[in-house]
Amino acid sequence: LRLIHTTTAVQRKNVGASGPEKYTEAFIKKQIEEFNLGKRHLANMMGEDPETFTQEDIDKAIAYLFPSGLFDKQARPMMKHPTEIFPEQRKIQWGEDGRPFHFLFYTGKQSYYSLMHETYEKLLNVQKYQDQLIAQDLPLQKEKRNLAGSRWLTKIELEEMLLEKLSDDDYSRFIQLVQKLMALPGSDIEEKYIQKFSREVPVQMQKVVIEPLQHDERGVAFSTGEGRRKTARATAVVYDNGTGKMTVNGKGILHYFPVLQDREQLLFPFQFLDRVGKHDTVCTVSGGGRSAQAGAIRLACAKALRSFVTEKEVEFMRQAGLLTVDPRVKERKKPGQEGARRKFTWKKR
Amino acid sequence: RLVQVRWSRYNPSYLEPEVNKELYQKPLEELTEEEREQMELKAVRPIKAAPPTLSSSVFSDPMISKFTNMMMKDGNKVLARSLMTQTLEAIKRKQLEKYHKAPENEKETIECNPYVIFHQALKNCQPIIGLSNITKGGKTYQVPVPLKDNRKRFLAMKWMITECRENKHRRTLMPEKLSQELLLAFNNEGPIIKKKHVLHKMAEANRAYAHFRWW
Repeated sequence: LRLIHTTTAVQRKNVGASGPEKYTEAFIKKQIEEFNLGKRHLANMMGEDPETFTQEDIDKAIAYLFPSGLFDKQARPMMKHPTEIFPEQRKIQWGEDGRPFHFLFYTGKQSYYSLMHETYEKLLNVQKYQDQLIAQDLPLQKEKRNLAGSRWLTKIELEEMLLEKLSDDDYSRFIQLVQKLMALPGSDIEEKYIQKFSREVPVQMQKVVIEPLQHDERGVAFSTGEGRRKTARATAVVYDNGTGKMTVNGKGILHYFPVLQDREQLLFPFQFLDRVGKHDTVCTVSGGGRSAQAGAIRLACAKALRSFVTEKEVEFMRQAGLLTVDPRVKERKKPGQEGARRKFTWKKR
Repeated sequence: RLVQVRWSRYNPSYLEPEVNKELYQKPLEELTEEEREQMELKAVRPIKAAPPTLSSSVFSDPMISKFTNMMMKDGNKVLARSLMTQTLEAIKRKQLEKYHKAPENEKETIECNPYVIFHQALKNCQPIIGLSNITKGGKTYQVPVPLKDNRKRFLAMKWMITECRENKHRRTLMPEKLSQELLLAFNNEGPIIKKKHVLHKMAEANRAYAHFRWW
């Protein structure tokens, strides 16, 4: 059961910010030299050319020479460049006389505060530029940047960039400042600076192949869809030129789903596309409870209807939430607690 | 400023689904700037699955589903939903009785649609300011505080349900009592409206402490 989103406490810890450096620079340099030598030896052993021996070749060679049956990939023997194995760390920030190099050292979070200062400086620059434009009576440019394709750095990425621990509050303040900078009309001059803190969101996740319609012996077009919700699994076959009859596991929907809410869910995709009396459906469902089975059949019908409908309407279905698999499942019970969240009754003595 | 304690199985980039069919059938020219930006954002971001209580049919109402969930005990949604439908039916019957008994000129003023009555009754029950406990110098003061929309709706529904559960004769059933209370609230009478006025008077009385609020 992979957790899709949790609090930051569960995600990996930032080693770079945890303390002063554990490996000196000389040590890392030596490791790099040893790695390069080892790479050439390995290439000679495998009979390849040492000059054109890439990291993939190294991985394949190590997997061949040291086969391991361990499950955890991190536990198997690996040979990687030292910068990937030893994480980046803060160097010692004071000189031999004990005097720190950076003027904000005594704040405790020197890189964070210096970053905030820099960003604010850029903001003031943009405001000065705006004032200049107004003084010269030139029009203010208002180009709307495409917000949809990019996202800001997450807190962990920012921590890695600054090599310092941040609190949620610090992070949100920084994001607010950068958003304010981006929202100003004349911020085109600082475009490069802003781009350092934004990442592209991959848009390709929506490219799902829609299957073409199949035809059965009588010539009626049909299409299948599969759906799941909690532990219920359902398959639906939607036939064209129908009267709106629905059969679930051989029984009618009035018989199988006595509750109105479940029947509403079954008809939801059809009602959304205005095709209530036009399709016949035959479904099979197993597992889960009453509501989970209804949700699974709903997803299966929506997926089957994709082949009958234009691309625009498929997009509308997606935006109505009909085509996403509901990831909510029952949370596990934890030891030391009575349920998933409920704790044992607190007794004073 | 609140720290998030609950987590969800969805990535924070997932957006809420929009079920209303009419919004999708609007042609592009009629949309305002904000709606266009929203549409562009929706085209790129993933969207959460619609919950089982939400549907595009004319019969599903978010306010009614919220009220049903609040009435529900031990997860028995079937019972709560049946009580709700019986309440709406009872309201309709009472209003129709009144309608048929009323003289011709008053027939137009009587409202027969139970959904309209429900919404208007809850709207009438919503308080405008609430009181909040603020501790200053060792003493706790009741400070008048403006309420958010969600909080107002929640308080109205909560008062309605507690009123119907406690102050009724042992033999009267919930739908009947609820329909009575809703009709009284629709006409701005009844114990819930009284409670709202009491709260407003308390807030007015504690007006002197209003400057203790810092948000």
